[in-house]
Order: sequence, then C-alpha cells, then structure tokens
Amino acid sequence: MAHPLRRTSLLALLVLGTAGAQGYTGPKVQLSFLHGFTGADRPVMERLIAQFNSTHPNIQVRAQAQPWGTTWQQLPSLVASGRAPDVVVINEDQITQFIARGAVSPLTDAELKTAGINKARFYGPLFKTADYEGKSYGVPISSVAYVMFYNKDLMQKSGVTKVPTTRAEFLKAAQQCTTDKSGKKAGQAGFDKGNLNTWGVSLYNNWVGSRMAYAAILQNGGSLVDKNLNANFNTPQAVEAVQFLVDLVQKHGVARPNSTEEAELAAFSQGKVCFFPSGQWYTDRFEQQKMNFGVAFVPRIGSKQDAAWGGSSHLTLPKQRAGYDANKRRAALEFMNWMTSPAQNLTWTEAGSLPVMPTVASNQKFEGRPIAGVFSKLGSIYATSGFPWGGQVLGPFDNAWANAYSGKQSVKAALDAGVSESNKQIQQARKSFQ
Amino acid sequence: MSLSLPRENVPPRRRRSFENSGLTPYLYLLPFALLFLVFVVYPVGYGFYVSLHRWDLLAETRPFVGLEYYRNLFDFSTPQAQFFWNSMKNTALFTVISVPLLIAVSLGLALLLYRPIFGRAFFRAVFFLPGVLTVSVMGILWRWMFDNQIGLVNAIRTDIFGMQPLPFLSTQGLAWIPIIVGTLWWTIGFNMTLYLAALGNISQSLYEAAEIDGATAWPKFRFITWPLLGPVTLFVFVTTVLASFQLFGQTLVITAGGPNRTTQSAIQYITEEAFSNNQFSSASAMAFMFGLVMLIFTILQFRIMARDAREGS
Repeated sequence: MAHPLRRTSLLALLVLGTAGAQGYTGPKVQLSFLHGFTGADRPVMERLIAQFNSTHPNIQVRAQAQPWGTTWQQLPSLVASGRAPDVVVINEDQITQFIARGAVSPLTDAELKTAGINKARFYGPLFKTADYEGKSYGVPISSVAYVMFYNKDLMQKSGVTKVPTTRAEFLKAAQQCTTDKSGKKAGQAGFDKGNLNTWGVSLYNNWVGSRMAYAAILQNGGSLVDKNLNANFNTPQAVEAVQFLVDLVQKHGVARPNSTEEAELAAFSQGKVCFFPSGQWYTDRFEQQKMNFGVAFVPRIGSKQDAAWGGSSHLTLPKQRAGYDANKRRAALEFMNWMTSPAQNLTWTEAGSLPVMPTVASNQKFEGRPIAGVFSKLGSIYATSGFPWGGQVLGPFDNAWANAYSGKQSVKAALDAGVSESNKQIQQARKSFQ
Repeated sequence: MSLSLPRENVPPRRRRSFENSGLTPYLYLLPFALLFLVFVVYPVGYGFYVSLHRWDLLAETRPFVGLEYYRNLFDFSTPQAQFFWNSMKNTALFTVISVPLLIAVSLGLALLLYRPIFGRAFFRAVFFLPGVLTVSVMGILWRWMFDNQIGLVNAIRTDIFGMQPLPFLSTQGLAWIPIIVGTLWWTIGFNMTLYLAALGNISQSLYEAAEIDGATAWPKFRFITWPLLGPVTLFVFVTTVLASFQLFGQTLVITAGGPNRTTQSAIQYITEEAFSNNQFSSASAMAFMFGLVMLIFTILQFRIMARDAREGS
C-alpha cells in the first residue's frame, strides 16, 4: 500500500521539476511566514507558496502578507515576546538595524550547506547585503535597482549612436541631446540653459534622485560610511563625483535645475530627455506606453568601478525563544532554499523583481526585453546597507544631495553639513547598541 | 401595617442600601474607565517610562537615563534640539496662517451659500466633498498642481501670463503655499457646514427688526450675525487649532518636510526619530514636550472660553 503511494508522490515531484529538493525529512511541521509583498506581487508569492506546500507534504507554510512598515514596527515586540514568525522577509534598508539589535539569527555555513543554499549562486554584493560583522543573516529573494532608461528616438534625432558607458561619452551624448527653445545646442555660443527644449539627463530632487549621487560616489571608490560605520560621504572622491552631477545642471546646462521626479518622468515619456536614471520599476510603464526605449546600467561616471544602487528583500530567520523546535528551523531553511532556487526565482521575476542570480538572468525568457540591458552588470549593484543607523545616514545624505543639486550650497559644503549632522545622530544611536 | 410585616421589607431595604452605597454611578462608569485605563493611562505612563530609559525592545539592558532625552531638547548642539524646535516652529507657523483662513473663508462661503441662490445644494456639496478624500490623495493632487515644472499653477503662470515658473516645492517659504492652499481646499467644507447650521438658528425676526430701523448689510452682520455665531466660532476655532497642530500627512506627501526641513511638522519629526532613526526614548521625550506645549495652549483656550461664557451670561 505504501509502495505505490510513494511512487506516485515521487512521480509528482519529478513532474514539477523539484525532485531532490526535498532536503527536510523530519516530522511534519507548520511554518509561519511574514512578508510585505502586498501589491501586484502578492498573487505570485501566494502561487509559489501553494506550490511549495503541495510538493512538501511534511512542511506547511502559512503566509501572512502585511505592509512593510507594519512589520518593522511589530517585529521587535514579536521577537521580544518569543512569538516571532518562523520566516520573515526584511528589506535592505532595515536589515542591518534588525541584525544589530539582535532580532535576526545568523545562518551558519553548515546550515546553509545542509539546506543546499550556495552563496555563490547569487550576485555577490546582493547576498552580502544581509551580512554583518562577518556573518550571514538572510538569503536574497527579490531585487530592484537603479538603472538608466534611454529614449532611442530622441537619441537618434540628436545624433547619439551609442548608449554612453563612460563619463566622457555620457557628457558628450548629453550635450548632443540638449537644445534650447531657439534651437541652439549645449555648448554653442548664445545657448540659453534656462530655456531648454530637450535635454540630456534627468536629475531631480528626492531620495530616488539622490541614488544617482550614491552611484557616482561608489563608482569613484567612495562610500557612505567609513570602517567604523561613521558617515563619510564627504571624502574628496565623493565631492568629485557629486560635483560632476551638479555641473551637468549648473555648468553644462544638460539637466534641468529644481526638477521633480514626476516632471522628469513626464518629460522622458514625452520624448524631451534622452537619459532618465531611476528605479527599474518604471520598465512596465514605458512598455505599456509603447515607447521606443532601452534600459542600460548607469554609465561609469567615477574612475574606479561600475556601481549602482539596488534595493532587495531577504528571507530571514528571526531570533526565537529558547527551546524552539530545531525541526522548524531545518524546515525553514529548506523553504528558503526552495524559494530562492533558480526555477522559483524565475517565476518571481514576473512580480517585477530583477533576477537574484546569474543563472536566472541568462534565461531565454528575457531575450529581447529592454530590462535585459542591465543583466550583464547585476553583480555591480550595491544596497545602502551594512550600518545599523540607516535613517541617520540616508536622511542627511538625501538632504545634502537636494541642497547641492538645487545650488543652495556648494557640493563640498552640502556634503560636509550632511556628514556632520549624520555623525551627531549616529553618536546618540550608538548608545542604544552598547 | 407594613411595619407588622418586616419580612416584606427585607428585599427593598437591601436594594435601597445598595443604591445608597453610591456604587451605581461608578458601575456605569466602569466600562469607560477600563478602556481609559488600558488605552490612555497605561500607554501614556509607559511612554513616560520609555522616555526616561535608553529603551529598545530588543536590547538586553534598558538603563535608566533620567531626563537625558529631555535635556537634549534644550542643548542646541544636538540635532534633536535643532530639528524638534524647528518642527515646532513650523507647526506653529502653519497654525497661525491657516486657522484665520480656515475660519474666515468657511464663514464667507457659509454666508454666500445660506442665501437662496441658484445651485446652492450643488455648491455646498462641491465645497464639502474634498473632505472625504484621504490625505494621500489630497497631497498628491496638490503636489501635482504646484509641481515645479509640470504643475497647473506654473502652466498658468507661464502660458497665460508669460511669467517665469516658480519652483514651489523646493523653495523655502514658497513650499508652504501648496500645503496651506491644499489644506484649505480639503477641510473648508466641515467648518462651512457648522456655520451653515448655526446661521439657520438665527431668528429672521432680528434681521426684520434691524431692517425696519434702516440697517444695511454690514451692520446686520456686525451686530446680529457675528455675535450670534460666537459660540460656533469658538468651537470652530478650538477644533481647527487642534487639527492644525496635528499637521502631518499634508507636509509628508506634498514636500516630504523639505526643502531643508522648513515644512517638517512636529509629529512628522517625532515619527522620523522613532521609526526611521529607531530612537524611541528620544521620540517619546519629544512627544511629551509636544504634549506639554499643547496642554499649556489648551489651558489658555479654556480660560478664554470661561471668560467668554461669563461675558455671555
């Protein structure tokens, strides 16, 4: 009686392509899973969970979707009272503070190995987003990134034949794209940068806009924080990188001053600007508008390396009370491995995420899709992570960008003021971690 | 007669003694008192405890630090003091500008729409309807209207009047315009409705008597309408001031508190300190300081109300 049954279930596993994934062989357990995929991504996640449950008879995952902010507020009290869910998804901007505050438990190399989770499978910087002080705390499941959209029609009209990848190419292409209302090109005598008809690049005044400055600083070999995790986005490399961006507005006149993301988005859709750096999440919108556009990695403005900002979501195991069922932890690791395996990650990209591993990025499903234009450099995407005081660093950084971009302060003065404010706030935050 | 039947007197006497014990009113108050204790007294007390400790739910130790976080609010070398009092100043500025507008404009609209003009019901609905929108919808709408480049306001300035566009959202001072105009549009209907109701309670005979004495529109308003609207004006004033002090969503959505924190409201900064910076003790101390300022303000208002009540009688 048991024999044919086992054969049937084995057959079912083979059909679903998940044979051999069954690493957990313990008694039947039920796992609670908390995640913030509450939008269009929710049905995709629910489909994956249903698939997992049907292929793993001894693990039942009960998922709960709720807005991210609610989770950030609830997680500390859930952990403190010993009622934490078995698996929680935490985003890149929150993860380090939860790790530093002890809400998340580290994943040992032995555990990862037993569960079949191979770090090398993922993009390196992406996996490291959830690392802290030499330990790993999460496995990436979802990823978004800052990219550069380009308008093929306007580029062609302006005589730009190649998508720029270096600083010199970028500046030259931006100048070619820029004309004022009287038809004069950027750089020509009598060019009026206050009255642009078309322009090269979209820079703008919010946190998304400031991620362009983040990319430029990383590309120049700078960073937001130093070894001691104090703010240091005012190093000479950082000032040089941000100065180049501000010069695009103030000196070269190839970007608009005082602009907003909405205004630049509208201008790009209307074919008035060649390059629109922003989140890859706008891809769908431009595809639906049937725009003739492409997606490229942010050109290398800095001198050291390719880099762009990325956001991500990581599967984590919260700290549990003493005496927590070890089988549950093993089952949770099994769930993490299954969910972040290539087949599932490919399905998950339907929800708007970028692939989290090269194997998925090379899938033929993406051939000819605009977003595939950045896939060769997904390994150069860096989150603003690794320091437990995210708000204290990013708030002043975004504000410094706004002041430099709008010309309220010189680049150096704006970044200096931001670092000084940030470090004063970190000083107070540090005491909470003593 | 009844005295000879003491047995019958037993139950009534017992009931009477229960009533006399004075417990009944407290029993009626008990459900509310329980809710009040659980949802007001306990959280406030706990919040005060948090503000006196270096508190984190996940930390192993939560040392007592006394008034450190309150002292920080008066030490202007700390960002906490600078940003907190800056946000208090912004909130006060918003209140001082928006409250007179919210009272004057709603009264004006009520006076206009009280008359039997054509389409009165339609206009009443038009002014009342924005109030049903959520703050995020209202905020996005006014952010778009005043956008530096694609906003309707700038389009009118440039295309009709040939003026230069103004970067409303990123200029200190100007950024208040979309916030105040948006708030006015959003909340005016409620005050207007209160005024309309109050206008309906003024006896027409007073106006008729005044007309016989030869009064024109202004004296009628000055000596009849305005004094008789006194109580509702006071009510509108108090509720509008309290609502203005709770400024949060409008600035968050329209300007995100910028540029340079010049439109950041007190509650917005307290939220940032708590949930973006994870400094719960510091945020609690700020909340109590904010509460103290509000308390002083409310006491002043009550004194004014008491004085008005005496004058009224």
